[in-house]
Amino acid sequence: MRGPHSKNHASILVWTVLTIAILSMLGAEVLRLVSIKHQNALQTATWQEALLAAESGIDLGIIELRKSLYPMPNHAWEGWNNSPADGVVSYGLSTIANAGLAGTPMTIEANVDAPNALIDPSNGWQYYRIRTVGTMPITGPARVTDNKQDGRLRKLSLRWERFTNGVLTPHALSDAPQVCRRAEAIVKPVSSFAQAAMSVGTMDLTNQNIVIDSYDSRDPNKSTNGLYDVTKRQENGDIATDGNLIEAGNAHIYGDVATNSGTVSGVANITGIERTDFYQEPIPVGAPSWTAINGTVSGVTDTTTLNASATKGSSISRYQLSTIALSGNKTLTLAGNVDGSRTYIEIYVTGDISVTGISQIVLQEGVTATVYFAGNIDVSGNGILNTKNQPSDLQLYGIEPPANSSKHVSLGGNGQIIAAVYAPDHDVSINGGGTSGHVFGSVVGKTVTMTGVTNLHYDEVLGATGIINNYKIISWFEDNR
Amino acid sequence: MHQRSNRRLSSDKAVAGFLLSEMMISTLIFASISLGLLMGFTALERNYSASSDFALNHADQMRISDYLALDLRRALALQAARNDTTIFIPNYYDASGNPQTPALNGNGGVYYGAVGSSVTIHYYLSGGTIYRQQNNGTPIALAVNVQDFIFDITDQGKVVSTRITFNPTFVAGRASADATAATAFYNVTLLRNTRTDNNIGVY
Repeated sequence: MRGPHSKNHASILVWTVLTIAILSMLGAEVLRLVSIKHQNALQTATWQEALLAAESGIDLGIIELRKSLYPMPNHAWEGWNNSPADGVVSYGLSTIANAGLAGTPMTIEANVDAPNALIDPSNGWQYYRIRTVGTMPITGPARVTDNKQDGRLRKLSLRWERFTNGVLTPHALSDAPQVCRRAEAIVKPVSSFAQAAMSVGTMDLTNQNIVIDSYDSRDPNKSTNGLYDVTKRQENGDIATDGNLIEAGNAHIYGDVATNSGTVSGVANITGIERTDFYQEPIPVGAPSWTAINGTVSGVTDTTTLNASATKGSSISRYQLSTIALSGNKTLTLAGNVDGSRTYIEIYVTGDISVTGISQIVLQEGVTATVYFAGNIDVSGNGILNTKNQPSDLQLYGIEPPANSSKHVSLGGNGQIIAAVYAPDHDVSINGGGTSGHVFGSVVGKTVTMTGVTNLHYDEVLGATGIINNYKIISWFEDNR
Repeated sequence: MHQRSNRRLSSDKAVAGFLLSEMMISTLIFASISLGLLMGFTALERNYSASSDFALNHADQMRISDYLALDLRRALALQAARNDTTIFIPNYYDASGNPQTPALNGNGGVYYGAVGSSVTIHYYLSGGTIYRQQNNGTPIALAVNVQDFIFDITDQGKVVSTRITFNPTFVAGRASADATAATAFYNVTLLRNTRTDNNIGVY
């Protein structure tokens, strides 16, 4: 009797074991598949995060470059091994926690250099090359993915290290498996006169139906004899504010308009784009630190002539004045060569500049004048005569005043206003623009107010002149060798 | 003795009858369980196959999307069409495969290699395989058995969006349009080289 029962039990046991075995194999296969996909997803996420690390390195390089624009001591390149130059690579290493992957630290290596090949011959501006490597450790085993194309794309450093520690030669990993991504960006300088008008706070164009447009005095297709020609009008008359309000006064803007999460009121027409995501911290202007100057004149209160020099930066054409105060029929002449050839003059006024009565400042043909002022500017009377009518020939820079002091720039008078003004710590007002109401140039101020100005014509050459105010990325490449 | 013999006979008959019924019942139970197991295993196998296919396709989507994003980020120009996209990237490497020093182009930009040169990257679907071809080099298969894949690239101004779909196989026959749309894998990429606003002052 026990025999048949025993056989039945054995049969059930076999089937049970067989079923369990099959289910176990299925489960194991599913587990294997899920494990591979999980690891693949994890490696992919880490690979993506490594790009963020590499791009952060570009940001770190730009931060140091921007720091270097500030007046000394600006602490630029502190913590880096060098200041960048041609053939000199500045290397910086940072490690920051990455909130995206449970605090897994990301390593950022940045190399910044300044090849001679990246100097703009037109203005001597240096472009910089920033090369970065972002590294993230891979959590989990050093297991290659199940598809070789994933490996070809992501190039994980499972056994051998790629790109790190500033070297390209692979070497054995000293620590856990990791993923590295390498990017290169080229950044170019941005002029302090990159816009027709820019204000830190409010910009008020008043109710003059002002027209803002641009021309390019270098290009005969965009100007006539280097002068503005309405028939060759360009549409780069951009205006922007770090504040949230532009009172446009029924303006017609041939360019872009930007605010910082703000509004633009009274714009009749904008040919470009209108943005609300603008913010650009203007670099403050520091007092010149010249080692030698022309000390023959220490202040101007009477008719005076200051001579320019054919050599840019020459001490004989550098003047430090306590004030320029012209009244009555007094004239300050910034004199160049008789033939009108290019000459340069730099003036640092530690006090105020004022022009009243029928007095005048005359900028002779061919002279490029750079004026730094620590006080206020009040120009009326016959104003400033810019003989060659080139805004880039007269650049006015307002030095950052002491904290809690208020400074202003007021340009007006009978003369045509043809100048570039960069005074981000001064309240700037432009009045009248001569008899025609036309102003040529660029204006940057803490606030900008235009009264009686009917036209503002921005010369695009200003975008390649003046002091550097920022850096922007013009080329980006991920090196995925 | 005879009595004992009869008792054994009746006992044997009883045992034999029990075994027959037991066999019939057990056969029935076995057949039912086997049928259930067979159906279960078949369903499991189909589900496993569909899940595995979905996982493989999803991995293919991620890989294709990442390849496209890699090249789109550094693109100089783009010609987008369904399942056939051409991307032009800087000529960054020299003939030996080493990075080149860029040069200024006189218009505020830079270039690598010869003036106006670039590297052409062509993504296309052919014969159930999605390829990536660099210049006139040998195409590299990024994903195989993906004849049901569709990759679309849409220029949205500042950014480019990529959408990749496939037909899931959880149901017999062709997947519905909704099921296919639900597999969409999106990626949005900023074209860092072509959208730098290099010519405008507001940035």
